[in-house]
Amino acid sequence: MDISTMESIIESLIFSYGDALPLDKICEILELDRKTARNLIKNMMDNYNNSNRGIIIRELNDKYQMCSKPEYFEYVSKLYQIRQKQALSQAAYEVLAIIAYNQPLTKAKIEQIRGVNSDSAVTRLLERNLIREAGKLDAPGRPRLYETTDEFLKCFGFKSIRDLPMLDIEDLSQLNLDELIDVGNSK
Amino acid sequence: MESSLTKACTLKLDNFEGPFDLLFHLIEKNQMDIYDIPINVITDQYLDYLYDLQSPDLEVASEFLVMASTLLHIKSKMLLPDKKEEKQEEVDPREELVRRLVEYKRYKEFATELKEMEKIWEKTVYRLPEPLDIPIIEEVLEIDPQVLRKQYIAILERNKKKINVGAKNITKLIEHEKVSLRSKIREVVKYLISKTSFVFSELFSLKSRSKTEVVTGFMAILELAKMKKVKIVQNKQFSDIHVISNTAEERDEHHLYSEIENNIKEF
Repeated sequence: MDISTMESIIESLIFSYGDALPLDKICEILELDRKTARNLIKNMMDNYNNSNRGIIIRELNDKYQMCSKPEYFEYVSKLYQIRQKQALSQAAYEVLAIIAYNQPLTKAKIEQIRGVNSDSAVTRLLERNLIREAGKLDAPGRPRLYETTDEFLKCFGFKSIRDLPMLDIEDLSQLNLDELIDVGNSK
Repeated sequence: MESSLTKACTLKLDNFEGPFDLLFHLIEKNQMDIYDIPINVITDQYLDYLYDLQSPDLEVASEFLVMASTLLHIKSKMLLPDKKEEKQEEVDPREELVRRLVEYKRYKEFATELKEMEKIWEKTVYRLPEPLDIPIIEEVLEIDPQVLRKQYIAILERNKKKINVGAKNITKLIEHEKVSLRSKIREVVKYLISKTSFVFSELFSLKSRSKTEVVTGFMAILELAKMKKVKIVQNKQFSDIHVISNTAEERDEHHLYSEIENNIKEF
C-alpha cells in the first residue's frame, strides 16, 4: 500500500469517527507501528493546515480529530445558532493555570498558591469538564487530586500537557533573595 | 499614614483575586521591584486599603487579613534584627513572600495567555460522530455450567470470611438515634393532661429509655418551666424530681399545644 492510499484511509477514518480517534486504533486498522502512523498523520496535518482547506486535523493526547478552521468561524456560525459557552471567571483561569502545571494536585495546594479559597472555581471547572478528579492523595483525610482533561487541551489548543509553554519553573524555594534580586535585575 | 494612592483606590476587594493579587496591584502601581519590595511602604498601603473597606465581608477579608499579618511580621523582623540570627547567615525575611509572589505572578500571566488561546480555539466546530448501524457480531460463549457453579460457591465462601461476627454489636454502639426536643415537650404536656403532677423518673426512666431520651426529656421539662407551664420541685439533691402542672384547671390538649406551639417551633 502506498503512502497516499494510507493517508486517504486515515482521512476517512478520522472523518467517520467524529470524536477524537486514538492513534492505536489507526495502527490496529492499518497494521502500522505507532511511529509510522504518527509520521503519516503529522504530514497530513501539515498539508491540511497549509493548504486552502476549511478543515484541520487536531492532535489531542495521541488522538486525532477534525474540526473547522477557526478563521472561518464567522461564516460557519451563520449556519446555525452556536451555543456560547459561559465564560470562565478570572479565578477559574488562575486555578486552571495552576492545575495545568502542577497536576495532579489537591485543592489545598491550589489555595496555598493563590492565597484564597478556590471552591467555586474548582466546581466550575469540573462542570465544564476542563478538570477531573484524579484519585486521592495518600495523606490524612485522603484529599482529592485534580488534573486537566482532554477537553482542556481541546479548548486551549494544546496537543498534550507536555505541550504547555515553559514557565521557567525553577524551584524558587531553593533560591535566596540575593540570587532572586540578581535574576530580577538581569531580566 | 494615609497615602493618596489608596484614597484614590475606590476598588473593592471583589476586584482582586486574593491577597497576592492586591499586593501585586500595589507593587505594579508603585512600580516597585518585586524582588526588592520596600516592605514599609507596601505594608502601609496594604493596611490602608483594608481600612478603607466600608463593610468587609469577613469570609473574604479573613484571607486578606492573614496577608496583612504576614506583612507586619516581616516588617517587624526587618526593624528588629533577630539576635539569634545575627550570628548565622542573614536571611532576608521577605524571601518567602517574594517567592510566593513571583510564583503567583507566573500563573496569573499564564491565566491571561489561556484566555487568549481560548478565544482562538472556541471558534472551531466539530462534527458529532454518527451512530453507525454496524451489525453486532454475537459470539457464542462456551462455558461449562459446572464451572459457573464452582465459581459461585467460591464467591460465597470468600464473602463468608469477610463477614465480621462482631459487626452487629458495633452498629449498636454507633447507632445514633434522633430524639427531638419538640417531641419530648409534647410528651410531657400530654402526660400532664391526665395528671396534675408526676415524678420525672416515672416518665423518663433509664430502665425503659435510652440515655438520649432521658436527657432530652429533662431538657423538655426545663423548657416548660421556662415557659411557666410547669413547676419543678426537688427536695434534696438526687431525690425525685416532681413536675407539677401550672394550669390548675383541666385543659384540653390542643389548647395547651397552641399555647406552647410558638415557643417550641425552634426545636
